[in-house]
Amino acid sequence: MPQANTSNPPQKRTRVAVVAAGIVSPLGFGLIETAESLRNARDCVTPVTRFSVESCRCKTAGQIADDRLLNCSTGRMQRPERLHRASRMMICALQEMLAQAMAFEPELTVVGTTSGGMTFGEEYYRTLHGRQKTRGTPSWIANYPPQKPVIDAQEALGLSAPCQVIANACASGTNAIGHAFECVRSGRYRRVLTGGYDALSELVFVGFDSLQAATPEKCRPFDSGRTGLVLGEGAAVLALENFDLAQARGAPILAEITGYGISTDNHHLTQPNPSGIGPRQAMERALESAQLAPEAIDYINAHGTATPFNDTVEGKAIAELFDHVPISSTKGMMGHSLGAAGAVEAAISILALQHQFLPPNIHFRSGDPELGLNIVANAARPAKIRTVLSNSFGFGGTNASVIIQSAAA
Amino acid sequence: MSLAIRGMGWITPLGANIADVWSKLLEGKEATAETISSPISPRTYQAFRIAESVAAHPRLRRSSAISHFAVAAGLAALKDAGFDSQRDAARTALIFATSNGGVIYTKRFYHDIVASGAQSASPLLFPETVFNAPASHLSAILGITGASYTVVGDGAIGLLALKMAEDLMQNEALEFCLVVGAEEADWLLCDAYRKWRLLRKTPPVEPFLTSPKGMILSEGGGAIVIGRGGTIEIEKVAAGGNYPRQKDAAEILGRVFAELGANRADIIVASANGTFIDLAERDALLRIFPGALVYTMKPALGESVGASAIWQVIVAAQALLTHQVPPVLHSRVESPLQTPSATMTNDSMRTAVVSACGLNQQVAGLRLTLGAEAKQPAAKTVSAATMGRF
Repeated sequence: MPQANTSNPPQKRTRVAVVAAGIVSPLGFGLIETAESLRNARDCVTPVTRFSVESCRCKTAGQIADDRLLNCSTGRMQRPERLHRASRMMICALQEMLAQAMAFEPELTVVGTTSGGMTFGEEYYRTLHGRQKTRGTPSWIANYPPQKPVIDAQEALGLSAPCQVIANACASGTNAIGHAFECVRSGRYRRVLTGGYDALSELVFVGFDSLQAATPEKCRPFDSGRTGLVLGEGAAVLALENFDLAQARGAPILAEITGYGISTDNHHLTQPNPSGIGPRQAMERALESAQLAPEAIDYINAHGTATPFNDTVEGKAIAELFDHVPISSTKGMMGHSLGAAGAVEAAISILALQHQFLPPNIHFRSGDPELGLNIVANAARPAKIRTVLSNSFGFGGTNASVIIQSAAA
Repeated sequence: MSLAIRGMGWITPLGANIADVWSKLLEGKEATAETISSPISPRTYQAFRIAESVAAHPRLRRSSAISHFAVAAGLAALKDAGFDSQRDAARTALIFATSNGGVIYTKRFYHDIVASGAQSASPLLFPETVFNAPASHLSAILGITGASYTVVGDGAIGLLALKMAEDLMQNEALEFCLVVGAEEADWLLCDAYRKWRLLRKTPPVEPFLTSPKGMILSEGGGAIVIGRGGTIEIEKVAAGGNYPRQKDAAEILGRVFAELGANRADIIVASANGTFIDLAERDALLRIFPGALVYTMKPALGESVGASAIWQVIVAAQALLTHQVPPVLHSRVESPLQTPSATMTNDSMRTAVVSACGLNQQVAGLRLTLGAEAKQPAAKTVSAATMGRF
């Protein structure tokens, strides 16, 4: 049976502008530092310091320095000492975004995460298990829920939009941007805040390690000798606005989101269908949503986790749909930030469009000859690009793709 | 065409289908609390739990209770809607709402790490700890290959999921949206809510007290199939907002009630659960609509957090369909709200407002209307004796 495109088709063609963005990741604080790290192909993966990894295969991750995070302003937030790191990341990213679009008041906020304030839950459990005094625990409990970082960030910066928090595993960030895009494109909303966040936690780190999905070596997306992912953390936000309204008020337009595709691959909870149908459907639906042919895509920011399974399946789907389009995964530089990844990579895609370069896929040695992908190997490249496709896939068989175009495209 | 409820599924500690749970609520029955303990602490708690397995499918053989609740509720709702997987799956979106997710497996997974080190972590348990595991199982069982979203939040998340469904249904390619809420109860959650001074150790849950005594945790699932047109119309979903401090919740609720026209509703299905939420709802209602008829199911069914708002919508829909409202259990005279002390019948009941104030800052509301094609139930009159408390 033919499948309906359950991503919203362009029945109503309200254009969707990205009028501001903010980002915090191991690549840097803010768009300028991030672009600089991308251009210089910086490897920002470092030995894990937040918890013991002695018994893990993998010992590294992309981490955000606590000293800088703690020095970020927390706005109007009362008792900032109780904030989780994920809340601080969101506050930093949102602050940068609002500095570009001070008048931006969203009617709705749609963000992605996988674990919110997970480490507070870990501390709570360790305290219980160690039969220690539980005096500080009410604060951990109140600040543990996954929606808390975005609510904190809004409160800190004087926003009060209702929050839809999507937890579609590693596709959460792209799903959030895609749903936010559809909300504006449908004409039901004029302004939607979107993005994603996740902070490194022991439980998730050990989880990926137990699945042997994490590598003890370098993270080498799409390399024939790839051995797995490394984790990361971060937050990124985008301000989406009805294009015509943004233009009418003279807002600077960073980029335009033109397509979104979502698919669900029911093969297995943690493994994609080897046929590549899940990623392929997501990309096809994004193209259909944008009313673009595959040839219109100038660059793909791949999910590219560097696990043998993901990269084979994603690479197969890309090779079937596209003809030698430049591809990179930026996860080799900063790790896989899970629920933040889609948002971080959307911000990276916008930087690529703005500064006309292809972000690098570092630690790449040799490609898979069966796939024949055009990998942007090891160094950023200047390029004329107008249209970018960004992929995110996750546990539960959830697949999402968004298409971002330069505002002038 | 307006959106409407096309099917419902309800898995609760009081029963596992709509008719059964509804008749027990009308009879004034409540769930039986079970004592739960932990090897890491001498503290024990009581919660309303589901004793029997409610869903059997090969895909669920390693899954946590929350997935069973979600699947059972989802399948029941789809059956109620006359869903045909072959015909309809490609035109159906899924939204799964939860608050704490698979906490039982998450605790077990992390316990192994804490007790024995990272090398003891189970690769079988970890995938079941992700929030979207239940949605993944449900999608696989139903054959949904399109939009599937898991959304997380507090007790208001069920209504935020319905708001999302309303947005998704702007896509004319979609015929249905299945919205499922589920939660599983565990000692760890009870301990956490107790530390947060929101939980009482044993029932009853006494709603709308001036000095709230706390809630009792519950578990289960609820599911609603949204379609285009039907007997129970979803007139409006108000996504509300977030309250920074507990004392601010009443103000946001007041705005939600005003947006929904709560003063024109025949019944308010509240989220009052024996905590500060009761005071917020009471204050907002007394300000906006002092004569409101208010019902809360939480003394009978407990606080099921991520499932609770979907349960409230089911209660509101059942009230409109049957023109009956169950008694509010354990409601003391001190409450100034109008709450039925016995089952009441009101043949003219046509609109219901659901109020969802979560424990962690989120507030939302929804307004349901009985459509014109609804059959009239057997005529009964409202008895003043059942109307209760001023």
